[in-house]
Amino acid sequence: MTVMSTASSPGQQKSAPKPARFLRLLLRNRLAAIGLGFIVLWTIAAIVAPWIAPYNPYVPDMAAKLQPPGGAHMLGTDNFGRDILSRVLYGARISIWTGLIAVSISFVIGVPLGGIAAYYRGRTETIIMRLLDVLLSFPSLVLSMAIAASIGAGLFSAMIAVGVVGIPEFGRLMYGQTISLREKEYVEASRSIGVKDRVILLRHILPNALAPLLVQATLGMGFAILTASSLSFLGLGVKPPTAEWGAMIAEGREYIISGEWWLVTFPGLSIATAILGFNLLGDGLRDVMDPRLRSGK
Amino acid sequence: MKKMTKHLTLLLVLCIVLAGCAAKSNPPASSASQSPGADSGATTQPAAASSTLTVAFSEGGTTLDPAEASDLTSDTFVIAAYDQLVTYGVKTVDGADVANTDEIKPMLAESWSVSDDNLTYTFKLRSGVKFQSGNPVTADSVVYTLDRVKNSKSGSFLYGMADIKTVTAKDASTVEIALNKPNHMFMQIIALYNFSIVDDVAMKGKNADYLKTNTAGSGPFAVEKWDPASEAVLTANADYWQGAPKLSKVTLKFTKEASNRVLLLDKGDVDMAIEIPAKDVASLQANSALSVKSNASNRILFLALNNKVKPFDNVKVRQAIAYTIPYDQLINDVMHGQAKQMKSAVASNTPGYTDKGYTYEHNLDKAKQLLEEAGYGNGFSFDLTLGSGFQDWEDDAVLIQAELAKVGVTMNINKVARAQFLEMQKKKNLTAYISKWTSFVNDPGYHLGFLMYGKGSSNYNNYSNAEVDKLWEQASQEPNADARKQLYEKAQEIITTEAPWSYLYEYNRIVGMSAKLSGYVYYPDEIIRFYPLSKN
Repeated sequence: MTVMSTASSPGQQKSAPKPARFLRLLLRNRLAAIGLGFIVLWTIAAIVAPWIAPYNPYVPDMAAKLQPPGGAHMLGTDNFGRDILSRVLYGARISIWTGLIAVSISFVIGVPLGGIAAYYRGRTETIIMRLLDVLLSFPSLVLSMAIAASIGAGLFSAMIAVGVVGIPEFGRLMYGQTISLREKEYVEASRSIGVKDRVILLRHILPNALAPLLVQATLGMGFAILTASSLSFLGLGVKPPTAEWGAMIAEGREYIISGEWWLVTFPGLSIATAILGFNLLGDGLRDVMDPRLRSGK
Repeated sequence: MKKMTKHLTLLLVLCIVLAGCAAKSNPPASSASQSPGADSGATTQPAAASSTLTVAFSEGGTTLDPAEASDLTSDTFVIAAYDQLVTYGVKTVDGADVANTDEIKPMLAESWSVSDDNLTYTFKLRSGVKFQSGNPVTADSVVYTLDRVKNSKSGSFLYGMADIKTVTAKDASTVEIALNKPNHMFMQIIALYNFSIVDDVAMKGKNADYLKTNTAGSGPFAVEKWDPASEAVLTANADYWQGAPKLSKVTLKFTKEASNRVLLLDKGDVDMAIEIPAKDVASLQANSALSVKSNASNRILFLALNNKVKPFDNVKVRQAIAYTIPYDQLINDVMHGQAKQMKSAVASNTPGYTDKGYTYEHNLDKAKQLLEEAGYGNGFSFDLTLGSGFQDWEDDAVLIQAELAKVGVTMNINKVARAQFLEMQKKKNLTAYISKWTSFVNDPGYHLGFLMYGKGSSNYNNYSNAEVDKLWEQASQEPNADARKQLYEKAQEIITTEAPWSYLYEYNRIVGMSAKLSGYVYYPDEIIRFYPLSKN
């Protein structure tokens, strides 16, 4: 393990685990493997949903309403007679899309902000970091509700809301990384031969800060899926009749006490497994990418 | 050993992650904690003293001011703490006691007389009636009250509708109210809770907002505690002029989640619950300790189409929409039979109702044909704005959406928060929306005046028909009840034919209560009167 150079060396790309070795290291961590398994399953489900869903998730069939799991409907039907399995599968598409787009928004905005703040210091740093602190000071769900409500309910606004809420996490992480990286000899060297700031940030600092950012992005996926579902649960997310896990729970919750548990259980389990998947994988990635943790075994 | 520690740590992490998910993905838990009524319900043992009543309400109310109250909970406080000049009679329909809004009975006024030209009403006040403060109820109190209503934000509209010109105190116990023009609804309007008589002496030196959080009435209960987030407590006014209430204390538990209210009632933690979902009626009725009242009400639900927005400016398109509504599904599957088909813009239990002109049924061929005639054979797409808070509206919308799709019409459902919806509605530019309406004065003139008259203050979908306007104006001046009825019937027929709304259904008013309670009377304003209730 000692041959592994530390993440802060400029040659990190070279000595970073090769994909195959990386995957092997990752899969050796059993929990990370489980997490990856959940994610792969849900991703496949999302992609092939239109072909494998047994019913149309949007067409009501009152003759078949509130049927328990089993029989023609493996996971039962909701109060409109819509097949829950089909809706859960279609819901995966929405959740994974929302997660990807929201995390991309957080990443694309947060990372440059954090990098610029740390690289230039001074007033730029104060302004950017205090702005991020303001964002961070609100409970994330409250902030995302406020954003979603102000731009109007809908899937798109939920994505934006969740994305904006995630910005400070990425910003602060990139900030911390850049603060230490900007003092490295290779950055100093680049600067001394007149390499442009933009190039230094993109070519020398960003690649070396990528490992923790990727971990954060993975964890952020789980968070984004959860927050987006919460928004839909609260009526600020998707429009009916869209099959979305949080919205399905909201629609089904009145039926819990009358005994129709399957309306909320399956979308609930879907949310739980998807988030668990991303969280486990994120933790696993951190272990693999951080050589100190790895060598401690 | 190290490995085991690692496994244990990972297990711990897993637990934390799962716990984290559970805590976050469970907004109902947090929303329930906003209304501790749900949680503290368990500590509210079935009242020890039999004369205390606990009721589960959905909303916590916004004001105690009679002139400003406009939501069910606020109205309930006002009715409990105040009296009006006159009140409604009670009749028995299908074994249930129901208010008869046609019959006006004395309350603080023991008698009244009307001048021959129907322009002057003289009220004689009951002697010896005192406010809860001990001050007597005088003619000055009435003058003061009506002046407050006139200058209020919410009640002033009714004041205008009553056509009141002047209010004069003739002597300490005589009040004369002069009208601008004869108004057959005047006595019914003056009986509304907005016209609750306020203690003018107690109000001296108090600022205008005093009544928002305090009461100054002569009613059977005093508001002892009011916390909109958790509960309110009403205590009996032992000196009430009609005799002390049979209940010594009424606690209102504010419980937002309908399923929590159902649970509280089912387990006997509350004596009464309102706004019970239709789907839970059957299971609650199976509980022998409960009595679930489901009465026809005049609360209607309709899909309003903006008559000024294409393509709904075309009567054929509006009629086509009316033919796509799956009426039976809405009533049987969404409302579980706790509703009734609506066949006029006016509720069927309103005197003067007629279903003339109603030819609609779920008939997609007919709808398709009408769309073709209107030039929309290939369909079109429009936005339905849906205010949150009522699950049945959303269910209706989803079913209607599926039927519309079958005739090529795409309906996008735009869900917005209820408060936002009410604001948007006022701008009168929503293409389509679902809304409910309850006319507190059960009269077609009152009802159509708000909703279908061209200048009606709640005619948010811009329905305007010169003949309907003329009929309404004529009827509002017509002293003869039969002649008036005919004018209103004609107006309803035109409206139904022109289909500015697709009629969805008339709600049943569902109240669940302990079988030990008696004296419950259903009022069209849906406010529960605690005074006649008793528990044995």
